Amino acid sequence: MRIARDPRVLGLLGTLLLCLAWEAIGASGLGGFTWPPLSRVVAMLADPDRWDLFGRAAGATLSAALTGYALGAAAGIVLAVLTHLLPPLAPGADRLAAGMNAVPSVALAPVFLVLLPAGGTPATLSGIGVMFLVYVATASGLRAAGAAHQDLFSVLGARPAARLLRLELPAALPSISTGLRLAVPAALIGAVIGEWFGAPRGLGVLIVNGMQNFQIVLLWSAVLLAALLSLAGFLIATAVERAVHARFR
Amino acid sequence: MRALSALMRDWWGVGLILLAWQAWVVVSGMNAIVMPHPLDVAADLATGMGDYLPALGVSLSAAMAGLVGGFALGLLLGILTWASPVAAGMLTPVTVLFSSVPVVTLIPVLARLFGYGPGTVVAITVVISFFPAFVFSSAGLRALPPGSADLFRVLGASRWRVLVSLALPAAMPSLAVALRIGAAHALLAAMVAEYLMGSSGLGAMFAAAKSELRTERALGASLIVAGASLALYLLSLCAERWARARFN
Repeated sequence: MRIARDPRVLGLLGTLLLCLAWEAIGASGLGGFTWPPLSRVVAMLADPDRWDLFGRAAGATLSAALTGYALGAAAGIVLAVLTHLLPPLAPGADRLAAGMNAVPSVALAPVFLVLLPAGGTPATLSGIGVMFLVYVATASGLRAAGAAHQDLFSVLGARPAARLLRLELPAALPSISTGLRLAVPAALIGAVIGEWFGAPRGLGVLIVNGMQNFQIVLLWSAVLLAALLSLAGFLIATAVERAVHARFR
Repeated sequence: MRALSALMRDWWGVGLILLAWQAWVVVSGMNAIVMPHPLDVAADLATGMGDYLPALGVSLSAAMAGLVGGFALGLLLGILTWASPVAAGMLTPVTVLFSSVPVVTLIPVLARLFGYGPGTVVAITVVISFFPAFVFSSAGLRALPPGSADLFRVLGASRWRVLVSLALPAAMPSLAVALRIGAAHALLAAMVAEYLMGSSGLGAMFAAAKSELRTERALGASLIVAGASLALYLLSLCAERWARARFN
């Protein structure tokens, strides 16, 4: 009974049940012909003839998501540090971040399609999503340094730059790493939505083509691949977050 | 003068973006087909309200119906995991799994499963709104004030009493956060679903305008959604403040 209460066992059981239900509904035809069994979806992903197609699509999506992730994270951190050093800027930056988060990317996509060079929309949308999360995490992290440490730096006459580099940024790292973890799915979402609005290739393009041409197994395979990519990135970011928390807390 | 400087302080970021946009249009010398003048968009908004408003109504009501459905489902499952540790152990990792993958990619899958139609838009927003509601309600139901659970036990309260009188009120601030996150996502999901299926609402209107190269109409639809989702965000922010003041 002890083993049955272990959250890891239960979690594995839950995931397994989900996969089994997916397979059973697909195999029995209960979900109609648009619900393929898991085994057929996995078989398509494992088929070497398809690797060229999936590889090119995943490569395009990944490079857009990574570009957006890197630029968005850098912009979020820079903006947060800037508003930290110049507090009068903070309310405006908060409004900007909240506004950009509240406006759905669907509304922004057409503007970017017009303004940006072709193919730049996926990376831009993922950058915006990432920037908001990282900005919020960094801004709250920069306030995390303890009052006693702050007093010590004041007493020793530390300059703002030294205070930032030696006290506030290290103190903010755990919060920043959490923000970076949460930003992984956001980067993928931005890239895929950007591709839906217009991109030559990518997983998003594959998904929409699969939907419109009734290539059901292809549609599910591309969605599963996007999910697996996001999960892999999420796990890497979780490992980084653990390491940072262990070192800086 | 003071009002002006307060305005500058609060809105410099948004103003900067708008200025950069205008500068880009002027410098790169785009023509009106590619990038309509702001006046064209404003004129289309003024004359085309009869087209915009019904479409917005369709999108908004689909998003709201989905939000309510997703919230009910999320709260129900949250209560289930609150009552049963086994269910909690099995459901939590599955939800973590879903929160680490791009859920919007499910929209085309759901569109194929349920068929193209207005009902599918609601189904999609239900699925999208479910996740924040479930995550925040199961966390909120456990965030009890210290000592309160012991008091209820000492007084011999039933589980139902504990749920209704203690856990649910304690979860209200978390649920309000979920509402703030979910409201923006619901409208986004409804718009994307309508855009991809081309069936109804603002999303379909936008898709049609885009394929007919009526950029002023497409940008007008963008502005309307942006305004609506900003209004939703501010409303949910008020709801969150109220929930915090009332239940904390």
